[in-house]
Amino acid sequence: MMRKYSREIIVAIALILLMLALAAYAPAYFDPQPLLSRFTSQAPALVAAIGITLVIIIRQIDISIGAQFSMCAVVAGVAAAAGMPLPVAVLAAVLTGAVMGAFNGLLVAWLGLPSIVVTLATMVTWNEALRLWQQGRLMNLPAGIQWFGLSQSAGQGIVIGLSVVLLIAFAWGMRNLALGRYVYATGTDAEAARLAGINPRWMTFGVFVLTGALAGLAAVLNMVQSPQVQPNAGDGLELKVIAAAVVGGVAITGGRGNLWGVLLGLLLLVNVNPALTYFHQPPYWERAIQGLVILLAVVADGLQRGKKVKHA
Amino acid sequence: MKRSSFLCSLAVLCAVPFIGACKKTETGGAKDGKLTIAFLPKSKGNQYFVTCERGARAAAKELGAELLFDGPTNSDPAKQNEIVEGWISSGVDVIAAACENKEGLSTALRNAQKAGIKVVTYDADALPDARSFFVNQATEKGIGDALLDNAAKLIGEEGEFAIITANLTAANQNAWIKAIETRQAEKYPKLKLVDIKPCDDLKDKAQQETTNLLGAHPNLKAVISVCSPGVPGAAEAVKQAGKTGAVKVVGLGLPSENKAYVKEGVTQSVILWKVEDLGYLAIKAGAALADGSLKPGATEFDAGKLGKLKVEGDNILLGTPFAFTKENIDQFDF
Repeated sequence: MMRKYSREIIVAIALILLMLALAAYAPAYFDPQPLLSRFTSQAPALVAAIGITLVIIIRQIDISIGAQFSMCAVVAGVAAAAGMPLPVAVLAAVLTGAVMGAFNGLLVAWLGLPSIVVTLATMVTWNEALRLWQQGRLMNLPAGIQWFGLSQSAGQGIVIGLSVVLLIAFAWGMRNLALGRYVYATGTDAEAARLAGINPRWMTFGVFVLTGALAGLAAVLNMVQSPQVQPNAGDGLELKVIAAAVVGGVAITGGRGNLWGVLLGLLLLVNVNPALTYFHQPPYWERAIQGLVILLAVVADGLQRGKKVKHA
Repeated sequence: MKRSSFLCSLAVLCAVPFIGACKKTETGGAKDGKLTIAFLPKSKGNQYFVTCERGARAAAKELGAELLFDGPTNSDPAKQNEIVEGWISSGVDVIAAACENKEGLSTALRNAQKAGIKVVTYDADALPDARSFFVNQATEKGIGDALLDNAAKLIGEEGEFAIITANLTAANQNAWIKAIETRQAEKYPKLKLVDIKPCDDLKDKAQQETTNLLGAHPNLKAVISVCSPGVPGAAEAVKQAGKTGAVKVVGLGLPSENKAYVKEGVTQSVILWKVEDLGYLAIKAGAALADGSLKPGATEFDAGKLGKLKVEGDNILLGTPFAFTKENIDQFDF
């Protein structure tokens, strides 16, 4: 048990140490308002991280997830600005994401193209299309979109609640549903999975579609937090969620990892920056520390794999 | 290889008659005596440049000149070159250009100068030898001073403030921050800059950074954003923290992106040059260059309704940036 979850335990300890340091030296960190705002603003990243985790477990990668997020945010924003009701805007965003995911999935699953190249190409394509379409300007949304037209605290509750429910559902499903196990099986050894009666192509395709749809949902959960949509809102999201997955113990070689680890990884990474602010340290350290954490995670991965090979 | 050189010569042969034709229109165009000024935006669909054009049209009308307004539909440096080459062929008198790509457009502008066309740049400069004057909307000091002066006035020239920037290596932003720091040291001894946070030009990141700043510095009185997405981002954070009015928000940005927050009283002032005046001044300067009243070495320029403006080297200065506030922001739509 300890051995199986060693990564999750290490990340949890790091997170607890960081929190203890904050409690000791900057207790204002735990004031309810900024804490709630921080959680709310990171909730969309958690939803996107669920998708990327599935993609990595199935031994693929999707670096277009940030671009998908931006595109879905703009589609939802355009729909909302045109006066469509919020549910229609949400549906439009999720569908747009699913279609973009399906495009990645088709190229990867059926043409057998490497996902890093496919999603690099789609990332650039979606981002450039957005630049041409929106010219980089903020889009003002009509009233009644922010916080779903409810109060700020109710809106924040819905955003956080939805993300947590999704996390629990996917964490449970990956462990207990046949489809969840198929994702692990495909990621561990696609040929063995095929012989066992799983269709690796459909599994891979499905995971990409799901990831796109989750990116769309994440974009909506982000959109409702302010009265404006920025057309490049997803810039850098891919790095954030891939890093969270890697730090959280998802093997970049596929087949291994779980969503609770990813949650811990995300919490650790996104707390580095606010902690620096509360410790009154210059922001130059943010990237360096995050980079170091990722490096440590990758090295730990390498060591773990080396050990396994020796035992075998 | 053979094939491509054949294609080249074919292209040259085809071009010859066109060159001849262009020459003809050039002499034809000059005859009617009316000054023709071509006005090139970075992108003609962009509200910012549409507003510039409005000022340019007013100036052209005043001068009795003909104004040609054309530019790429979307920011596209190659298309800018094409348009300038077109204007050289058809023989305009003056080109006023905002350059998407400094080096790229400079070649085309040099060709224009060789063809006897007077060239000024505005908004975004070309290389110095590719134009006579740059109509400079705001100097680094001008922007830094305006931002800090506005913030200082709002908080009674005393207390802590923080800066949201684009990223820690952005040259423009760093120059403005330096100007703010210099101004603070010279003029506002009781102001204290507590932190500078990068937002990667992302509104949402600016909001998160501001949320943290407000929590980490309970005595914070003002947030100054030196990048445009940072202004609404900082405002949203102040609003969500329930500190509307208690913490002032000042920044460099477009009125249209900040209108709601300014009207709610979350953002107190948005600093920008008057975009319409920039277009007006570019045309005035171009025309003065063509009629010889503006010459290299000038130190002052009479810009009609804008009054006498300072010329520093080959830069014509539009003057102090403008502060958009609750009282006036409704009059602006860019």
